[in-house]
Amino acid sequence: MPDQLAGLRATVAELIGDQPGRWDVAQEIPIGLLRKLGASGVLCAQVPASFGGLGASSQDNGELTAFVGSLCSSLRSVMTSQGMAAWTIQRFGYREQRVKYLADLTAGQLAGIAFSETEAGSDLLAMRTQIVPDGESVVLNGQKKWVTVGRYADHLVVLGRHGDGAAFIVVPATAAGVRIEKIADPLGCRAAGHADIRFDNVRLPASCVLGGGGQPLSLLFTTALCYGRLSVAWGCAGITRACLTAAATHAKHRRQSGKPLAQHQLIAGHLADLLTAEQVCARVCQHASQCWDASSPDMVIAAVLAKHVSAGHAARSAATAVQVLASAGAQDGHVVARAYRDAKLMEIIEGSNEICQLILAEHAVSAHA
Amino acid sequence: MTSEQTMAPVTAQAIQEALLSFLDERIKSSVAVDQDLFKSGLVSSMFAMQLVVYLEERYDIAVIGPDLTLDNFRTVQAMTGLVLRLREAAPAENA
Repeated sequence: MPDQLAGLRATVAELIGDQPGRWDVAQEIPIGLLRKLGASGVLCAQVPASFGGLGASSQDNGELTAFVGSLCSSLRSVMTSQGMAAWTIQRFGYREQRVKYLADLTAGQLAGIAFSETEAGSDLLAMRTQIVPDGESVVLNGQKKWVTVGRYADHLVVLGRHGDGAAFIVVPATAAGVRIEKIADPLGCRAAGHADIRFDNVRLPASCVLGGGGQPLSLLFTTALCYGRLSVAWGCAGITRACLTAAATHAKHRRQSGKPLAQHQLIAGHLADLLTAEQVCARVCQHASQCWDASSPDMVIAAVLAKHVSAGHAARSAATAVQVLASAGAQDGHVVARAYRDAKLMEIIEGSNEICQLILAEHAVSAHA
Repeated sequence: MTSEQTMAPVTAQAIQEALLSFLDERIKSSVAVDQDLFKSGLVSSMFAMQLVVYLEERYDIAVIGPDLTLDNFRTVQAMTGLVLRLREAAPAENA
C-alpha cells in the first residue's frame, strides 16, 4: 500500500507538526490529538480491515512506526502500546471480544498493556497478579509498573495468573479499584503517559478475560512482546534516522576553522557511523517484518534481533548526534536531546540489552551448535 | 504454504511426524508424542509462539482465542488433535 502509506505519513506529519519538543518538556501529548490519531487507525495499523483497522502489513506499519519514531518517540511509544494491545486482543480474544475491543481501538479509544511488576520483569515466574474466577465475574488483584499510555488509557490489557495458566484481561481504566499513578519525570519518552497501576479487588464480568484465559503464561507474554519488540525496533530505526538527518544537516552548514564541520575528518567519521547505523537498523527491521508478513516462525527471533540491534544503534547514534551538534542540540526538547534520553530507555524496555543477549545466545546454541 | 504441503493428506500420523521433526530441528530434542513439553522445560517462552505460527502456516489454520490454551499445546498428541479439529471447522474466522 505505498499510496496509502504516503497518505498516512502526510496525515500524521500534519497532526504532529513541530510540537514534539513541547510535548517532551510538558511531559504530555494532548489527549484530543491521541484520539484523533487513534480514530484514523494509525496507532494500530495492522488491525485487519474486517475489524475496522487499516489492515497494514508489518512492513508498512513498520515504516510508519519509524516515521513517527523519527519525529517523536513518546508518540511512537503510544503506537507500540496500542498496537500490542490490539494484536493481543486479535490473537487471544473470542470473536465477540475482537469485534468489540478492536472497534474501540480504531475509533479513538486508547489502550495500555501491563506486564511488569516490582519483582517480575523478565522473570515471569515471579508474577503475582491474579485473576480469580468468581461465578459470572472475575476478581483482579495486583500491581503493575511502567505501563506506557497508563495515564491516557481507556482500556488496560493486564497480564495475570489464571487457574493453571495465565490470561490477559481487558480492564476499563475507570473500573472501581483501579488506581493509576503517573510516573514523574521519566528519563525518556516523557510524554508517553507512563504510570504505575494498582488493581485492588477489581471485579469484572468474566467476558473481559481474553479467550476465557488458561493460556500458557509464556505464550501470552512472548506473543504480545513479539509485536512490541518489532515496533520498538522500527521506532529505534526512526530515532537513528532523525539523528543522522540532524547531524548531517548541522555538519553541512556549521562552519569551523574556515570550513564546514563535515569536512573535518573526526566529524566525518561520526557521519559515516550514523549512516551505517541508519542502514543497519532499516535492514534488520525489514527482515523481521518480512518474516512476520510471511508467517514464518523465525519472526520471533528476528524481532528480538531487530530490537537488540536497533536499540543499541539508536542509543549510540543519539550520543554521536549530540556530540556533533554540541551546544546546538544540548537542550531538552531538541530532537537529538530527546533521542539521547529516549534511545537509552529503548535499551531497557521490551527486553533489555542483556535479556535480548540471553535469548539470542540460547538461539545460538539451539540453532547453530 | 507450498502446493506439496497442501496436497499431502493431513492425517494424524503425518501431523505427528511433521511436529516431531520440527521439534527435533528447532530444539534439538527427540520427544515422545505424549510427553509434556511445558513441564519438561523443552518449550521456552520464545518457542511457544514459534510452535503456534508453525502450525498455522503449515496447516492453513488460525489458532486464536480459546484455542490457545496450555492443554492444546502440552503434547504432540494434543497439538495434532488441535490441528485436525481446526481443519475440520469452518474457514479461519479472523481472515
